[in-house]
Amino acid sequence: MSHATGDWQDRWEMVIGLEVHTHLKTESKLFSPAPVLYGLEPNHAVHPIDLALPGVLPVLNERVVELAIRLGLAIHATVQPHSVFARKNYFYPDLPKGYQISQYEEPIVSEGWLEIEVELPSSDEGGGKKKKKKKDKGEAPQTLRKRIGITRAHIEEDAGKSIHDTQIAGGDDSCIDLNRAGVPLLEIVSEPDLRSPREAAAYLRALRSILRYIGVSDADMEKGQFRCDANVSIRPRGSNELGTRTEIKNLNSFAHVEEAIEAEAIRQVELVEDGGEVVQATMGYDPERRRTSVQRLKENADDYRYFPDPDLIPLRIDPARIEAIRAELPELPDEKRARFEAEYGLSSYDAGVLTASRRLADFFEETSRACDAPKAAANWITRDLLRELKEREVELEEIALTPEMLAGLIRLVESGRLTARNAAQLFPDLVAGGGDPEAMMVERGLEAVSDSSTIDAFVEEAIAAHPDVAQQIRDGDDKPLNFLMGQVMKASQGKAEPGQVRKALQERLRGSGA
Amino acid sequence: MSALHALGVTELRARLAAGEVSPVQAVGATLDAIAARDAEVGAYLEVFADEAAARARALTDSGACKALPLGGVPIAIKDNICVAGRRTTCASRILRDYVSPYTATAVERLEAAGAIILGKTNLDEFAMGSSTENSALGTTRNPWDRARAPGGSSGGSAAAVAAEMAAAALGSDTGGSIRQPASFCGVVGLKPTYGRVSRWGLVAFASSLDQIGPFGRRVVDCAQALELIAGYDERDSTSLPEPAPSLCEHLDGEVSELVIGLPREYFVEEGVDPGVLVRVHEAIAVLEKAGARFVEVSLPHTAHTIATYYLIATAEASSNLARFDGVRYGRRAERVEDLQELYERSRSEGFGPEVKRRILLGTFVLSAGYYDAYYGKAQKVRTLIRRDFEQAFERCDLILTPTSPETAFTLGAKSDDPLSMYLSDVYTVSANLAGLPGLSLPCGFSDGMPVGLQLLGRPLDEATILRVGDAFERRTAHHLVQPPEAP
Repeated sequence: MSHATGDWQDRWEMVIGLEVHTHLKTESKLFSPAPVLYGLEPNHAVHPIDLALPGVLPVLNERVVELAIRLGLAIHATVQPHSVFARKNYFYPDLPKGYQISQYEEPIVSEGWLEIEVELPSSDEGGGKKKKKKKDKGEAPQTLRKRIGITRAHIEEDAGKSIHDTQIAGGDDSCIDLNRAGVPLLEIVSEPDLRSPREAAAYLRALRSILRYIGVSDADMEKGQFRCDANVSIRPRGSNELGTRTEIKNLNSFAHVEEAIEAEAIRQVELVEDGGEVVQATMGYDPERRRTSVQRLKENADDYRYFPDPDLIPLRIDPARIEAIRAELPELPDEKRARFEAEYGLSSYDAGVLTASRRLADFFEETSRACDAPKAAANWITRDLLRELKEREVELEEIALTPEMLAGLIRLVESGRLTARNAAQLFPDLVAGGGDPEAMMVERGLEAVSDSSTIDAFVEEAIAAHPDVAQQIRDGDDKPLNFLMGQVMKASQGKAEPGQVRKALQERLRGSGA
Repeated sequence: MSALHALGVTELRARLAAGEVSPVQAVGATLDAIAARDAEVGAYLEVFADEAAARARALTDSGACKALPLGGVPIAIKDNICVAGRRTTCASRILRDYVSPYTATAVERLEAAGAIILGKTNLDEFAMGSSTENSALGTTRNPWDRARAPGGSSGGSAAAVAAEMAAAALGSDTGGSIRQPASFCGVVGLKPTYGRVSRWGLVAFASSLDQIGPFGRRVVDCAQALELIAGYDERDSTSLPEPAPSLCEHLDGEVSELVIGLPREYFVEEGVDPGVLVRVHEAIAVLEKAGARFVEVSLPHTAHTIATYYLIATAEASSNLARFDGVRYGRRAERVEDLQELYERSRSEGFGPEVKRRILLGTFVLSAGYYDAYYGKAQKVRTLIRRDFEQAFERCDLILTPTSPETAFTLGAKSDDPLSMYLSDVYTVSANLAGLPGLSLPCGFSDGMPVGLQLLGRPLDEATILRVGDAFERRTAHHLVQPPEAP
């Protein structure tokens, strides 16, 4: 694939900035009353304004302004009291007016930031502000938290789609679908603060999480609601200067973002190490070949002839409106995470996992409230529940399990009526079909056996069946104890409480519980 | 008693309201006049004879006519203003067969007031011109002299009203396109304050300058039309929140407490037809005699208005006309090889030379590297021009000027000299740059052709210029002179 040697990252540093286009969650379009709906027949969500019929005028959807303000506040940015819509002029069949209405010199949101967390590979030597080593669980990775600047966020309208499918269009013709034309977007532009594909992906995840938390966007990449362009340059490690950058357009998945940045950085390194020079250009990414290629050189770029749109008056925002929106802003991921650590005593890692989405965080809090065992709830959700979701390839809202059900299950375990092992056996069925955990436990005869005479009987049986092993333990070798425990658990069909079994075995063979 | 089609809106309404005349009679007389005269004049691109007659019949039968402010009044619409189910051609080949699915707010309001739409009138293609000669779809002649131009770009609407083929008409004014043809055709034309009338349904030429306004044969007719079409429209973000003004009740003939400004820079002899200046000075004398006081004011940036106007107007036009690309509607070139050819040929074949010239100029002035020197600078000068007027209005209540430095010129006289055509807008463009209301009304004749008097008011103060125009009309008889019948 490349002749850049594997250790090129020792010599070169990547400098990455991302431009994200995210569809805003509104009922109607940015400048027309047509609905914002996905999956409709072509041209079924189109108003004369979207068609750019002669004589029509744009009227700003105020809901968009509110959502843009929300984002501005959530990323600690300045919401400008005065911003301006401009026309970006170019010809394309899916751009009905011959210009896109966007914000150019005066965007609504400027100078914000968000914090990302990246897992550090052991060899990584990146220098962030704080490093945290997880102590409570061996599996928790070492992470780096880093603040990423956001230059600006501005409001603009989406274009339609050109359809070149020969079956639909017939022959060499192309068709136009304007359902998407005029759908409101926020373009969110980061500073060139990202240093690796991994950081870029972490930034996108953090941004998407915020957008969803505050109800600004569903940010569904598959529906084209969340799209990313990446600006990439390289520089010798230790240098503070910015190299010539290229822009990779239209990256449609997190995986592609990471791959494309990596591929582009390698392309640049090879170019430069062969004595060449990076030229400012727009790049495309081919996921099949995992390669970037030049689409258009900067010197051939369109002159968009931006000028303020005379059909729209400057957007003025009253500071009182900003404060009112601030007051109603929901708790943001970082705030929630800090609260989970403090209020529930969760590890930073678990708190981070639980607050990755607002729904998951709510699921946790409801479960925790119902069973009064936050750590157990956190464990069930971060391990078992997320694994089930991943295996089944479903979303949280698609499963039958409710926080009340999970809380019921946890209560059974906490009270000793159900062993963890049997609870784990019930869990997939609860996820799939729901139900009352206690009734299911009883129905399947899984209630824990805690009656000591019953347990003693199982213990006697196991010792009798394996006299050699019992003798080893009596002679002071603890290793086979687990084997006998397994025999007892098997005999009890998993219902015996393991602690009680261990204690009974030890007393019977050693005469003590130590 | 005048024939029905020769009556002004107010006079006609008085008879309709009294039941002396029915809508069928009023509309019928006007349609007859169109049938008799328009082959000569060419004011209309399309006449809705059947539909207008049917509406007049319905209004007559329902009896609703009496209560409606414009019930039964026949009105013409410039063909860059949309009427649902009708072609809106903008006098361009590119839109020759384009039918609008919706109606402009101004037309909607006229229809709600009972007006009957007679048809669509000719204009310079996309309202770009000062003679209506840039129409790709027909020639309009001046009713006072068929060898001369009616002015433009709303030449068809002005000619229709002058030739008594409509009681009133709507036009649009971007740099004088209502006032100059009103002046050339001897009728009254009003360009309202920018934002006073919704632009929804007006095909944009230069969005920050365009404004719809009425033509009439009397000042009061324009006042009444404006009362009905003005006012906020949620479909136009640039429409002003102020409610429609009450205007007619203030037309009391009084001017004695008013101070009228005469801009020093506009009263120069160079480049102005002496016959025009004579009539304007006579008008000043009439108003002075009526008690108005005159003061000289200065508009120091006058020398830059034409340049500023053509930079801003062409820049906006180059963007506004990008939508005519042959993709969704309008003319599409046939047998094209690729997208580039589709654009090039559709637009090359669809637009006329003046439109192409302005698109090229506008594209240039917005280009990277030229924006600051041209468009950016023009916006700054525009602010200075607006400030000139603000300062002048500290010393006077309104400003009086000629509407045009000349009377109607011969058809073809300026066709090969676009610059001289641009310069004839010298007195009118400043009102568009400053967003002010402007009225043109007849003030006599020079060599047998009408001369127009222009009154410019403070923003939103159409009331004062209409009041002064009406007071002038009451003291003079120019508006009573009718154009000669066809030879």
